[in-house]
Amino acid sequence: MSAVARLPEIPVDAETQRRIEQFLYREARLLDDERWDDWLALMAEDIHYWMPTMENRRRADKLGAYALDRGALYNDNRLDLTRRVSRFKQPSAWAEDPPTRHAHVISGVEVYQGERTGEYVVHSSFVNYRSRVERDNDLLVGRREDLLRAVGDSFQIVRRKILMTQSVLMAKNLNTFL
Amino acid sequence: MCNANDTQPRLKRRPVGRSVEHLEQLMDLEHGRMSRDVFWDRDIYEQELERIFARCWLFVAHESQIPKAGDYVSTYMGEDNVLIVRQKDGSVRGFLNTCPHRGNKVCFADLGNARQFVCNYHGWAFGIDGALKGMHASSAYEESGLDKSAHGLHPVAQIDSYRGLIFATLDPQAPSLAEYLGDFRYYLDAIFDMDEGGTEFIGGCVKSVIQCNWKFASENFVGDILHAGWTHDSGAKAMVGGPVAEVHKFPEQSYHVNFNGHGWEFNQDIVGNAATLGDKEIMKYLYVLQPKVAERLGELRSKMIGAISSCTLFPNSSFLPGQNTFRTWHPRGPGAIELHTWTFVNRNAPQAVKDAWRKGTMMTFSPSGVFEMDDGENWEYSTRTNSGFVTRQQDLYLGLGHETRLTDTGLPGNVYRGQINEANQRAFYQRWFDLMEAPSWGCVPQRDVATMEVKA
Ligand code: FES
Ligand SMILES: [Fe+2]
Repeated sequence: MSAVARLPEIPVDAETQRRIEQFLYREARLLDDERWDDWLALMAEDIHYWMPTMENRRRADKLGAYALDRGALYNDNRLDLTRRVSRFKQPSAWAEDPPTRHAHVISGVEVYQGERTGEYVVHSSFVNYRSRVERDNDLLVGRREDLLRAVGDSFQIVRRKILMTQSVLMAKNLNTFL
Repeated sequence: MCNANDTQPRLKRRPVGRSVEHLEQLMDLEHGRMSRDVFWDRDIYEQELERIFARCWLFVAHESQIPKAGDYVSTYMGEDNVLIVRQKDGSVRGFLNTCPHRGNKVCFADLGNARQFVCNYHGWAFGIDGALKGMHASSAYEESGLDKSAHGLHPVAQIDSYRGLIFATLDPQAPSLAEYLGDFRYYLDAIFDMDEGGTEFIGGCVKSVIQCNWKFASENFVGDILHAGWTHDSGAKAMVGGPVAEVHKFPEQSYHVNFNGHGWEFNQDIVGNAATLGDKEIMKYLYVLQPKVAERLGELRSKMIGAISSCTLFPNSSFLPGQNTFRTWHPRGPGAIELHTWTFVNRNAPQAVKDAWRKGTMMTFSPSGVFEMDDGENWEYSTRTNSGFVTRQQDLYLGLGHETRLTDTGLPGNVYRGQINEANQRAFYQRWFDLMEAPSWGCVPQRDVATMEVKA
């Protein structure tokens, strides 16, 4: 689907792998803790943050389950993400008050060399569980493909593609990032 | 005239069941009161499937979704899954998505292009015209004397379109689509005929589930701008840095209009809805277009093209001018809906403007959208609180805007002064009640008299 997917999978050294895993785990914790601005700081200025919706099409249908010009729950640049974060922070964001409890679980982290030095193609799986008020519990599971860029002694996310398993989102909203 | 529906040839229905008694006690619209039972009761819901969803003209597709022969979409009419298929002669047909052999679902894709539909169970194969063409081990059926011509896919009773919107009904007795929409077509043209190229759907369909009664969604879009200033405060601040416009302060410049239960609330600020997408290209496009629409459709309708407004086509399809989201609230029992949403644009709009709308619609009115995010919870709990036995015996208020009827505007349909109103919601429930009480279309009272030609 994206250009990065076709690169040869050249592994990285163990230390880089470890640092990138730590980066992703920390990112998940920032989301669990609703530290929206700290989370936003992990996104590059030129971020493309994309979560297409899944269409059920026959295998023979070359159009495939998703594409850039079709449905998406996120198809965001930095400004879009900033706007979403600013809604979360409004006292009048009623559907966030009382707060939703989030668990972002990240695993299966694979890291490969990117096209340019200091860039990395990172695959991971996610489980996202949200609990709200008494009995609203929503589960989303899927896979992510990121392009990370080394910045100083940390990283920034340049591209993120999120593929979820559901085609009908089995929840009233999606009030988190993945 | 006033009889239960005739059965369709191959659909042998049980005689229409006894209808829920004393529905008239559930609403006192005159005094703006209604019962909560209509959002909770299973028997009422079953009767809705029969008398609303198996009877009304329901939106099933936009022409642009199925341009070529064999193009199809799978959608729902109530809980009935249907396939809407473009034919070789350019016409459109609709079929129940179920095999007349043993009932399996025939098509599992949401959309695509097919030369035929082949059932996975025993391999019955249907043409795109629905006819049974052949099957695996066909000699066995020949020996049993199966009449293939009598075992095609079940067609919908009627299918027709208006300004690119395709509707179907499962009731052969239903009046024509033109009659069903009636004078509401005058307003529909403001959006679906504002430009000579008409509209198209772009970007596919976003689907989600909300645990609410379908009528809470429909009544919200039919007339409830009131909630926007409160519910969507956070979304407005996120998108444009300030609160929702205080429409309650300007009743002179805004209306509720309704016809046959369809309703539209709007003001005349041209771009109020569109502005919430926070995109300059869209604003520029609408401002340049507006004088041309004025020439085409007159001043009033040209000011509706992206104004603060919302609309529901009875019973369960809605759209927002300006944000350009079109959606159907498919019922899934009394306490759930499956929401299907699309983005519509003018076919002749520049590609960059179309792209901006596709993005903007999903940013605001999809399950992750900054506006829609706050709607679902309201509707879920307006529904769920009614599990309480005593709770659901407390009636609800629907009385805004009494004595606001206008009779001198020259506009078609029932017109009310002020966008902050519940006139459309009352008209929606009046239509609901009329259909629920009537054993057949012939018994549905014709309250609204059309002034427009019924031949579209
Ligand atoms: S159920 Fe479809 S072929 Fe038998
Ligand atoms: Fe809303």
